[in-house]
Amino acid sequence: MWRSAWPLLAIVSLTGSATSVSAEFRPRYGGALMLELHDVLTLTDPGDWPAPLAGLVYDRLVELDDRGRPQPGLASAWTHDSENKRWQFTIRPGAKFQDGSPITAASVRASLKSWSDVEISGEDTILIQTEKPSPDIPIELAGVRNAILRRGSDGVTIGSGPFRITEWQAGRHAVFAANEDYWGGRPFLDTVELTMGRPLRDQLIDLELGKADLVELSLDQARGAAQRGMRTWRSLPLELMALVFEPGHRAVEDTRLRRAVALAIDRAAILNVLLEKQGEPAGALLPQWMTGWAFLFPATRDLGRARDSAALIQPVPRLSLTYVPSDPLSRSIAERIALNAREAGVVIQVLPDAKADMRIARVRLRSHDSAQSLADIAAALGLPQLIRPDGGTLETLYAAEQKVLADFRVVPLFYLPATYGLSARVRNWQPAPGGNWRLENVWLEARVP
Amino acid sequence: MSFRTRLFVIFAITIFAAVTLAVAIISSATRREFERSDSERTQTLVQQFRKEFSQRGNEVVARVERIAESDAALRVAIDANRPEPDYSLHYKDARALASAHGLDFLELVSGSGTIVSSAQSPARYSYKEPWLLEPVNWNATGAFLRREDLADEPALALEVVRVMNAGESRLYIVAGRRLDQTFLASLVLPPGMRALLYRNLDPAFSAQALVDSSGPVPEAQKLAPLIENVRAENHEADDTIQWTFDAASAEAFHAIPLDGRDQKLLGVLLIGSSHRQVVTLVRFIRNVGFAVGGAGILLTLMLAAWATSRVTSPVKQLASGAREVAAGNWQIQVEVNSRDEIGELAHAFNQMTRQLVEQREHLLQAERVAAWRELARRLAHELKNPLFPLQITVENLVRAKNQYPEQFEEVFRESTATLLEELNNLKVIVGRFSDFAKMPVPQLEPLDLNDLVRSVLKLFDAQFSASGKIRAESDLAANLPAIQADPEQMKRALQNLVLNAMDAMPDGGTVRIRTRQYNSTVTLDVSDTGQGLTTEERDRLFTPYYTTKQHGTGLGLAIVQSVVSDHGGKISVESEPGRGSTFRMELPVNSGSKPLISTADERR
Repeated sequence: MWRSAWPLLAIVSLTGSATSVSAEFRPRYGGALMLELHDVLTLTDPGDWPAPLAGLVYDRLVELDDRGRPQPGLASAWTHDSENKRWQFTIRPGAKFQDGSPITAASVRASLKSWSDVEISGEDTILIQTEKPSPDIPIELAGVRNAILRRGSDGVTIGSGPFRITEWQAGRHAVFAANEDYWGGRPFLDTVELTMGRPLRDQLIDLELGKADLVELSLDQARGAAQRGMRTWRSLPLELMALVFEPGHRAVEDTRLRRAVALAIDRAAILNVLLEKQGEPAGALLPQWMTGWAFLFPATRDLGRARDSAALIQPVPRLSLTYVPSDPLSRSIAERIALNAREAGVVIQVLPDAKADMRIARVRLRSHDSAQSLADIAAALGLPQLIRPDGGTLETLYAAEQKVLADFRVVPLFYLPATYGLSARVRNWQPAPGGNWRLENVWLEARVP
Repeated sequence: MSFRTRLFVIFAITIFAAVTLAVAIISSATRREFERSDSERTQTLVQQFRKEFSQRGNEVVARVERIAESDAALRVAIDANRPEPDYSLHYKDARALASAHGLDFLELVSGSGTIVSSAQSPARYSYKEPWLLEPVNWNATGAFLRREDLADEPALALEVVRVMNAGESRLYIVAGRRLDQTFLASLVLPPGMRALLYRNLDPAFSAQALVDSSGPVPEAQKLAPLIENVRAENHEADDTIQWTFDAASAEAFHAIPLDGRDQKLLGVLLIGSSHRQVVTLVRFIRNVGFAVGGAGILLTLMLAAWATSRVTSPVKQLASGAREVAAGNWQIQVEVNSRDEIGELAHAFNQMTRQLVEQREHLLQAERVAAWRELARRLAHELKNPLFPLQITVENLVRAKNQYPEQFEEVFRESTATLLEELNNLKVIVGRFSDFAKMPVPQLEPLDLNDLVRSVLKLFDAQFSASGKIRAESDLAANLPAIQADPEQMKRALQNLVLNAMDAMPDGGTVRIRTRQYNSTVTLDVSDTGQGLTTEERDRLFTPYYTTKQHGTGLGLAIVQSVVSDHGGKISVESEPGRGSTFRMELPVNSGSKPLISTADERR
């Protein structure tokens, strides 16, 4: 895939004391890192896990470095022909699954079963052949969905990452213990204890009370936490916020009305105030750092055209806009959109959790792969399949995105980063900007008795 | 209607009318008192609302002034008036300040009229509030109503504007409380009253905009006419709403317009007063009235029974006595127990019956004497006619014996024939009197009167023809039912009437016989075209031995009357001098069920 935008966009935002402090202290083995997440994970489908967490348990053949460049993972090396059609990956010698079984070319091919063009070319080499030039094969293999794993007889997946699952209470709690045989060396931490389904507000309280070491933060929480001197970290924009016009609602069937609403939205004012300058205005579905063409989709307000478009409709129907009640940010943005639209002559009533003509949707991008992300967005927003997740050229991806945005059924609003809060005892916090926490490198400062 | 019933009805109507009148007066007085009280309570509630309104406004003023004195407001005032203010610094401040000061609405607006922070709608930052820049001394202005356009729906607010100055920077603080059911719930209402608030924020009437202290008002549409009236006229109005078929569900509403700062109608306060209390009271009064009325009527019934028994019992005795007298029992005497008017009446009645008995005895004696005289006269008359020929004949015989012995045999033969004839006449006369005295008991059997008429007319046919002057006509009803009668007696009665008719027409005329049925009675009319009867003749016509004819015995019509009477019927006559006469026999179809006088003694 096309990765030329990486040098421009892979900017790690570290605030205050979130800067790495690894050089100041000697690493220390041991300890349990307390991690809290809002989502509830399932054990059987790691493909749905957040990428940072999936990296704890599952390896990919290829990893991405801070600048998004492919680096050896389970594959210690790879070669390709001049046309980028034939790729040969060599599996890292001695690499084992967490149950002790060796990772072979056969197990890799079994794990990549969604890939139809994978062949075993030797005991520790696999061959991937494509009909078209595929220079981004390594980046694709770095995606969470392409994690190398093995399914046990009970359907539970077994990875080869630095941590292994030792306890799993569905929907509530999980414990990941250090993988002593990890090919990259034993992690400093003994365990990572995960609490799932924890509300963001409670996560922040737990962090402030020292009950958690790593928690998720909302954007408004992140600013307040930083102002109070807490350690926070912000990823690249990994989430799309969009305005979705519900299909089948007669009130929004008129493209001119949708265009009027879309053009009336003042993203800059929202970004500066409600988002407190965190995130990016979005004119496209996929962020600029992922595709490089997002700037071609305008994200600026044009109130004059919005009014002109609305003036073509007589009478202008009264619209309704809904949001998830538990998301105050969505509510504020929805209310601002309603105010913006009223300037264009479109009255929008904002209702929580209702069957409305429009809704504010948030889609977390779990993959760095454009096609996969576009497919994820389409699925999350209820759009028809835009492109096959496993393929597509630059042109087809661009055309697909352009097509879906042309009739204003979906209006991208913002790309939002993931923000986290860290306790003071977390050391050597050096996550990848794309989201991988790299907890195998983290160690904990001993608690003072 | 009997006296007892009449007395009861009069008493009952009197008591009912009295109770109804009392109930109506009490109910009316109660209603008037309730309406007066209701009006006073409504005015009190309106004053309370205005007082609460003013007090809330003062509270808001106090809170806004505290906000104006706060460091947070000062910081906002300074930052908001920078050349390029950063709204992200303060857009949450209004919500925090509103929450801290117990306000529903709070907007911090820069000196240029730009919203810096809004508690009720945080997304409104950077929008303008141009009305704040009007030349108004806000710090001297009290609370006023204002429409707040929130994201989900418009709201009605009681707001205050204050201006704070930080050096050259100016900050407008617009704060207020929501005017909704919570506000209404804070009003202390007397039992049976409630306050409703209509938020006039939509172009047309909206049922959802009407709330009371517990939320939206069910069936708010019924109040639409009243609210529309206030919306149109912008002055107070009244109406009464009956929520269900039950009259107790009625509620009187007094609507007061609530204007905003620009005199635009923003709300309508409705003070509702339930009629349940007064309706319940009136129903209670009515029920008590009914109970008292019912008891009164019952008492009346008993009183009427007692009174009427005292009054009507002797009257009934008198009535019974009168009926006995009418039936012929003139010996009857009623018991006299009182000395009042009824007693006097009873005493008079007894005296009357005694006098009647005495007068009847006198009359009977007189009639008996008269009858004997009449009988003697009639007998003398009847017997005189045959006696005279007898006397002449015997004298002729004597004279012939003495003077004409040679002719004696011939005279003797002729005289004996004459004597026998005259004696036979005497025998007939005696037989008629004997027959009248010995009328036999009717032997009843089904009899067709039409057949009887035909047979009698046939019998007289020869006489009609012989006279050549009398014509007979019959008008017989078809399907005439048979009657129970003695054919021989009825035939004799009809023959007597026909003979009577013929005698009445010595110069000729028409005998007309007609039969008809009227319900359970059949009539038989025998009419003649003779000279008719005088009134006196008509009155005495059926008296035995009375006759208007030269040679009548006076028994013919008496026999007819006797026969008709024995068959349970009656006979009457209609006649006018010169227009003939009509004798009408009225006989019951089932005359056998009638008691018949059947003994010779009774007939006598």
